[in-house]
Amino acid sequence: MKYYKQIQSVLIIALIALICFWLNGCDSFTETDLPQSQLIKTAVFQDVKTATAALSDCYAQMRDYSMITGNSDGISSLMGNYADELTYYGVSDAPLQHFYNHTVLPSNSGVSFLWNSGYNQIYAANAIVEGVENSTAITGDNRNRLKGEALFIRAFIHFYLVNLFGDIPYIATTDFKTNTAVSRQPEADVYNKIIADLLEAKNLLPETYTSAQRIRPNKYTASALLARVYLYAGNWQLAENEASIIINKTALYQWQDDLDQVFLKDSPASIWQLHPGVAGLNTIEGRSFIFNSTPPSIEAVSQELLDAFETGDERKNHWLGSINDGTDTYYFPFKYKLNTNTGTSQEYSIIFRLEEQYLIRAEARAYLSNLAEARDDINKIRQRAGLSDITVNTSEGLLQAILQERRIELFTEFGHRWFDLKRTGQANLILSTIKPAWKNRDTLLPIPASELLANSHLLPQNQGY
Amino acid sequence: MKIISLNKGLGALWYPLIFGLYLCYTPALANKVLRQNQSISQQNQISGTITDGTSPLPGVSIAVKGKPKSATISDFNGQYILSASPNDTLVATFMGFKTAIIPINGKKIINIQLQEDITTLQEVRVNAGYYTVKESELTGSIAKITSKDIEKQPVNNPLAALQGRMTGVNIIQATGTPGGGFDIQIRGMNSMRTEGNAPLYVVDGVPYSSQSLGFSSASSGILAGTTSPLNGINPSDLESIEVLKDADATAIYGSRGANGVVLITTKKGKEGKTKFNLNAYTGFGKLTRTMNLMNTEQYLSMRREAFANDGSTEYPVNAYDVNGKWDQNRDTNWQNELIGGTAETNNIQATISGGSSGTQYLVSGTMHKETTVFPGDAKYGKGAVHTSLTHSTEDGLFKINFSANYNTDKNVLPPSDLTYKAAVLAPNAPALYDANGNLNWENNTWSNPLASLNGRYTANTATLIANTVLSYQLLQGLELKTSLGYTDNRVEESRINPSTMYNPAFGFGSERSTLYVNNASSHSWTIEPQLNWQKKVGGGEINMLAGATFQDQKSSQLSQTGSGFPSNGLIYNLAAAARLKIASNHFMQYKYQAFFGRINYNWKSKYIINATGRRDGSSRFGPGNRFANFGAVGAAWVFSKEVFINNNNNSFLSFGKLRASYGTSGNDQIGDYQFLDTYNVTGNNYNGVIGVQPSRLFNPAFGWETNKKLEAAIELGFLDDRIFLTAAYYRNRSSNQLVGIPLAGTTGFSSVQANLDATVQNTGLELELRTVQFRRRNFNWTTNLNLTIPKNKLLEFPNLESSPYANSYVIGQSISIQKVYHYTGINPQTGLYTFEDYDGDGQISSPNDQRWIEDTAPKWFGGFANQWNYKNWAMDFLFQFVRQKARNYLYNTSWAGDMVNQPVAIGNHWPANGTTSETQLYTTGENGEALDAWSRYSNSNATISDASYIRLKSISLSYTIPTKGSQISTARVYLQAQNLLTFTKYKGADPENQSSFFIPPLRQIALGIQLGL
Repeated sequence: MKYYKQIQSVLIIALIALICFWLNGCDSFTETDLPQSQLIKTAVFQDVKTATAALSDCYAQMRDYSMITGNSDGISSLMGNYADELTYYGVSDAPLQHFYNHTVLPSNSGVSFLWNSGYNQIYAANAIVEGVENSTAITGDNRNRLKGEALFIRAFIHFYLVNLFGDIPYIATTDFKTNTAVSRQPEADVYNKIIADLLEAKNLLPETYTSAQRIRPNKYTASALLARVYLYAGNWQLAENEASIIINKTALYQWQDDLDQVFLKDSPASIWQLHPGVAGLNTIEGRSFIFNSTPPSIEAVSQELLDAFETGDERKNHWLGSINDGTDTYYFPFKYKLNTNTGTSQEYSIIFRLEEQYLIRAEARAYLSNLAEARDDINKIRQRAGLSDITVNTSEGLLQAILQERRIELFTEFGHRWFDLKRTGQANLILSTIKPAWKNRDTLLPIPASELLANSHLLPQNQGY
Repeated sequence: MKIISLNKGLGALWYPLIFGLYLCYTPALANKVLRQNQSISQQNQISGTITDGTSPLPGVSIAVKGKPKSATISDFNGQYILSASPNDTLVATFMGFKTAIIPINGKKIINIQLQEDITTLQEVRVNAGYYTVKESELTGSIAKITSKDIEKQPVNNPLAALQGRMTGVNIIQATGTPGGGFDIQIRGMNSMRTEGNAPLYVVDGVPYSSQSLGFSSASSGILAGTTSPLNGINPSDLESIEVLKDADATAIYGSRGANGVVLITTKKGKEGKTKFNLNAYTGFGKLTRTMNLMNTEQYLSMRREAFANDGSTEYPVNAYDVNGKWDQNRDTNWQNELIGGTAETNNIQATISGGSSGTQYLVSGTMHKETTVFPGDAKYGKGAVHTSLTHSTEDGLFKINFSANYNTDKNVLPPSDLTYKAAVLAPNAPALYDANGNLNWENNTWSNPLASLNGRYTANTATLIANTVLSYQLLQGLELKTSLGYTDNRVEESRINPSTMYNPAFGFGSERSTLYVNNASSHSWTIEPQLNWQKKVGGGEINMLAGATFQDQKSSQLSQTGSGFPSNGLIYNLAAAARLKIASNHFMQYKYQAFFGRINYNWKSKYIINATGRRDGSSRFGPGNRFANFGAVGAAWVFSKEVFINNNNNSFLSFGKLRASYGTSGNDQIGDYQFLDTYNVTGNNYNGVIGVQPSRLFNPAFGWETNKKLEAAIELGFLDDRIFLTAAYYRNRSSNQLVGIPLAGTTGFSSVQANLDATVQNTGLELELRTVQFRRRNFNWTTNLNLTIPKNKLLEFPNLESSPYANSYVIGQSISIQKVYHYTGINPQTGLYTFEDYDGDGQISSPNDQRWIEDTAPKWFGGFANQWNYKNWAMDFLFQFVRQKARNYLYNTSWAGDMVNQPVAIGNHWPANGTTSETQLYTTGENGEALDAWSRYSNSNATISDASYIRLKSISLSYTIPTKGSQISTARVYLQAQNLLTFTKYKGADPENQSSFFIPPLRQIALGIQLGL
């Protein structure tokens, strides 16, 4: 019995010793496998499919969570209210109300959304540029196309940021140590970088679309933005050239004569549009702008815009919707006509369309004193709207007519009206009479307060805020 | 409607009561039969109940004097039975109480009341996790509450039972909605990450993850975050909660001990006959405090003045409150309508326990139901089963202890809290229902707040915590022990937004209805082999412990959104959704290993030294940063045992101890895989391609955060320990802070995970005074007072000025400061708020003029508890007090004159009351300068004010019904209340949760009964 107990003890001590040896040898216990539900970055750029998924995410983010989204977070609504296109009817103290009233403060969450979502998408674009550059597996056309699209996205978002905020940092790397302490660069420098990116994108991108749907930018989409950038920068000749490249590419882009078909997804005038995501969905704009009860829950077309339509303008009948509650009639943008799902999607959000290129070319030609051809370009637009040709024969008169035509043709599309008022120096003149709280500072939005706290190099705040 | 639901509630209560009674009686009758058969010659059955004067005492050892073999132990309800002859004498002994010697004198029923022996309270053993220590020989700082304190409070979350009872432990209830979370800070904020301050929870030896599995898109509108995992622990199954605070106590938990350790121990069976215990209560709850808001007259006069100020001659079409669209004679107190309901609580617990000297068991079941203060049929239900089984072989060498806790919660709530809505809705807003009883939309001029109740948040959670401890005594003094633990958490959450939540005039059909679903689970196993060795060396005793921990936790989550349903009746069926979006589908693995040890030397209970250490590895860090060492040394000197103090037999100083400790512990609460550069699937669809995006900014080079803790304390007992004082000073320094460093938006992200070369210091003084005023046969009065004076300070932060934290922190100040504008009164000319222009540039701008510093950390807090026992009556109450400043209602409310209601105090405005006004010139929102001033005002010191409070946290009155001669061994009725009274000057609803968006903790009153057989 005693021996038995001793043997037992020896056995137990041996067991403990064994366990200790085992424990000693398992420093590798804390090694876990790579996460099953995530991808390692290098793996993303070893396969054109996953790299395309990263790029597709950029477009989905732009559609849903960026400045160009179709709901009241996006500039179609924000800057439409800020300018004279929309009247706000929603709840008190919403970020949008402050845009409408011109009481935007640096703490406005709409402002920080524009800034932060913009730079978030610029990061994603930069990550694709770097990922593709460092990839050994993605080569040739795939490489050019992915990089070209990413550069286009980077330029596109910087373009809106610089027009909304003035001097901004141009971000071209994913290195957070650099990006967290950047300074603002003069507008002209930002424009030069946008142009450089677009020229490179234009070189890299093919002429064709990846699919019939025109949902990813091609070479001509880069030209379309370039034409707009040159116009904003006052580079008339280059603006005219770029616009002409697109207008002359009739094999791809054709004039759409039926006003009701301009905003359909198969429109041949469409240069770049965003896929709604899931089959059957239509545009966010349609869901956001259209209302069928009164008073409007968020916003409606303003009296100023209604009054700006010339008599007989067919666009008033075709592109505005209305509802009457017995006493008042409210109008809403009705370019996109579907606010529910359909069996197959019928409308996509169109970011660039041929008509804008005609207007760009008209303006550039007016500045270049090519008045006759400028008139032709505007009249192309007017004829479709059922209006008579204009006959003005001074540059100034023509420019004023172009501004008016842009106002009507491009209303509630991505803040065109606001940017036009701002770049032509008429914002103060026109809005000070409509908006009681208008101040000169309002030509630029304030840099978000939280950003000035996080990065003091962004100081000073825009004048007046 | 109210009456019906009340009847239902009470009715439901009766079923388990009757069933419980039936269950209880069956074995009791069986026992009676058994007893009749056990006739022992010349011996009588002596039985009775042992109490401490108020409640029964289980586990009391009782024996016939001179016959140790006759010893038995009182059961769960303090009852005992033994055989003795009429001339014998009984001896009852129990730790913490004076030994009672009672001659039998021929009686058959002898009830014994034991007198508490305060001196021997020092003998109580305290659970330190891997080992237990006598309180008097403790070298570290461990606070404890037992089931006695927990039972006095009708609470659903174990943390609620701790509030106000411990020094150094600050607990805040985030919302009064059942299932919501609690914030706990043990000895202050160590980490600059708000989510990095959670302690480690250990339930019966098994680490319990405090990371919620919830889906915030589903729950954040109602629960102030995600569902709290601690709801998976049933308070009434708990025997004790110990909180480990200093280095000596926490270093053995190494990397996970930096923020303290909460040890939760569940109840175990006791040797004795089979016992049944039934405990049931029913209660009612209302909000503690609401805001004092304007009535229609005050409100409309504000609005009209605002329009006049803005120069409006005509009211705009959407100013329904003043333009005549809404009835201006209506006056509704929306807080009463929307959050002023009464919540009902019902709780019932049945316990069966008992066992022989070798095997003891306990099984208990609990049902808990709560409704809410919101309109509608929201409710919370909980079912818990707890079992414990203990066995030891006859020779006592091998022991096994198994415990399992299974808990299910079902929470059905409105999708969002109505608190904010109730505070801002104009008092003359329309009626909720029209004449036909349908939701009233008042010609589409408002969004009816009750429409949101057509949505619903549902959460089903199930939690299993199981643990087996096997121990075997290898040799004399050498014990091998292994703890095997398993936890399993499952959460099924959903939130529906049916189209009926929207105004019917919008014409939305079920194609607009949305369903959010979250299914998540996590399971983890732990193995902890340990070796204990004990030996007498010299005049003292040496204790050694060596062990290892292996933990593997896997979790997965699938969150989906479905929208567009053929009918709202199918809204819970994802398959019916026209559009399905998978928001996230995660698989995570966390692996953790550690080796730990302890050496303790105790010389005649006079000099004690305790050294602990741990080497940790965690999969949350990249290769090269994975392992770290932690350790601590503690020492205690019980000087009252020294001859020079004890020689004159003067019992004025009955106990005296000095103790100190120093050591390190760490923190790995950063989430899994953060060191990898990965892409996440976003679920964003673009023409059939599902997007991927960078998960985070990539930074592989981060490592452990360390926390150095120092503590010194003195414990003094006077007059037989009737006055007992503990004073402790601590100093914790956290460095190499692991934080999500905030970044400028230009980086594309808001933060990056990295170690920050900053040091945060928490110091504090903790005082605890326990006094026994009366200790009589029929009357006892004891008082506990605890007070904590914490101080937080940022010690070091290289290059703070050029970092993103430049405007958040100041060296030498607390890390809970806010830098705000300094409000300097109302400008007598413009009527607008003015502020100090620090940089003198003539403009008030951020951040240069945001230099005023306000600290919202508590200055001091504590609790004051009293316990009175008079004959069969017992009364306990606890006052909790906090001295602090906090953001007040002015921070979240809109500007005065806007179409939202305001507190009555806003009526004190310019120009009516000149520069003594509290509020500036009213505006409807058209006056840009006024809005600028208002925006700065909400970011100024004016919106941070005193939020100190004294709260009658808990009060309990109970009466023990004499049960002499009946089958029932104990019967007790009680009345309990939580948060009954609050005294505060806080400008806002509740000074505890300080929220404008979530309901405060409830004031609850419960009536209950406890029966034991």
